[in-house]
Amino acid sequence: MMRTAISILKKDLRMEFRSKESILAMWIFSLLIFVIFNFTFEVSRLVMLEIAPGLLWVAFVFSGMFGLNQSFALEKENGNLRAMALMPVDGGQIYVGKFLSVTIIMLMFEALIFPIFIIFYDLHLSLGMFKLIPVILAGTIGFTSLGTILSAVAVHTRNQQILLSLLLWPLVSPIIIWSVTLSGMVLSGEVTEAFYPLLLRVGAFDVIFFTLSYMLFDFILED
Amino acid sequence: MRSTIDKILLVILFFAFLVSIYLIFQWVPQIKASNPAEQIAQRIFYFHVPSAWLGFLAFFVVFAGSVAYLMTRNRKYELISVASAEIGVLFITLVLITGPIWAKPVWGIWWTWDVRLTSSLILWLIYVAYLMLRRYLPDGSKRANLSAVVGIIGFMDVPIVYYSIRWWETQHPKAVMASSEGSLAAPMFFAFMFSLATFTLLYVYLIRKRYQLLTLEDTLNKQFKEMEIL
Repeated sequence: MMRTAISILKKDLRMEFRSKESILAMWIFSLLIFVIFNFTFEVSRLVMLEIAPGLLWVAFVFSGMFGLNQSFALEKENGNLRAMALMPVDGGQIYVGKFLSVTIIMLMFEALIFPIFIIFYDLHLSLGMFKLIPVILAGTIGFTSLGTILSAVAVHTRNQQILLSLLLWPLVSPIIIWSVTLSGMVLSGEVTEAFYPLLLRVGAFDVIFFTLSYMLFDFILED
Repeated sequence: MRSTIDKILLVILFFAFLVSIYLIFQWVPQIKASNPAEQIAQRIFYFHVPSAWLGFLAFFVVFAGSVAYLMTRNRKYELISVASAEIGVLFITLVLITGPIWAKPVWGIWWTWDVRLTSSLILWLIYVAYLMLRRYLPDGSKRANLSAVVGIIGFMDVPIVYYSIRWWETQHPKAVMASSEGSLAAPMFFAFMFSLATFTLLYVYLIRKRYQLLTLEDTLNKQFKEMEIL
């Protein structure tokens, strides 16, 4: 039943592993963000610790835009978008495939940049840090579930990249704000009782955005 | 027929606005506040809150219109959604203008990155993006589909804005209407309700006009196309 989604996922991942285009670009860009932030806001270590969670998410999502822009731009370039629309399968399948590939690539990039983040901001690793995993997972899924469908919308316009930013940023901002709050709790070691309800809320919005996108994707493909 | 209704609406609107201005600036008693500027500024509430409510209403109509369009493929619903999105952006713009005018004398600042303020700005940005998307796409069923999808997804953030004052600590005054703790004095409540009704009528009038204009544009475009074929 999910064969189409899995084929798309396999194709995208194979392409990515051969060229390593997205992950490398995202990783380098994140490094740049850390550097730029450092010299534009010359702040003390104490302040740095306070803004670190925000910085982490800025790096994640700004770099994530690369992957999202790539995802459908490549298909369009080669006329594959039309071919996909002609496939006798449910559009939701294509969405799931695209969503999975974007998410997996982004999670891999996040795993690669996180050690650098720890080193740059001199954070101390502890067991409590494992709580970051569900936070990053939930935040990233929210970002990519919305990003995938909006990227498919934006790819039809002349100004794809700017329009994707215009559409995605405001819509995804609640999820990013919550993710930053949650990450801040974990990084400062002050996980309060508000942590799990908030995490659950992010998860709930992930489910809403994913389900809606899955249902609506057919309409984006058709002419 | 159509224009008769509009004319009647316009006349009612004219008098309703005269009455609400009288109610707001003359009839409602002064609130008790230590700061005299605050007493005057408080009256902006009668414009600010109805505008916000209508923004929400307008965006709900965008959502409903988008769903209806995708289900029926009737162009009528597409045009209603667009008209409503434009008017919604207009009303939220009013909210974002009247808010700082009130905040300056009361809080001492025009703007603060408070949750309620930030989320209203985000809401505004979502629907501006919706309108921008339409500008970037050529007219046709593709545009209708894509904007309907964005119109539906975009509405998912509206509840977040609405609940933001409950979910977070905020500087913004609490919702006095929808909560049990808040209470308005009877004259204030009446003036507010009158203002809200007037604004709602304005929304009805504006969406009718905008919709008519959009259909006219459509007919004109069709005629142009026919002429080109000939």
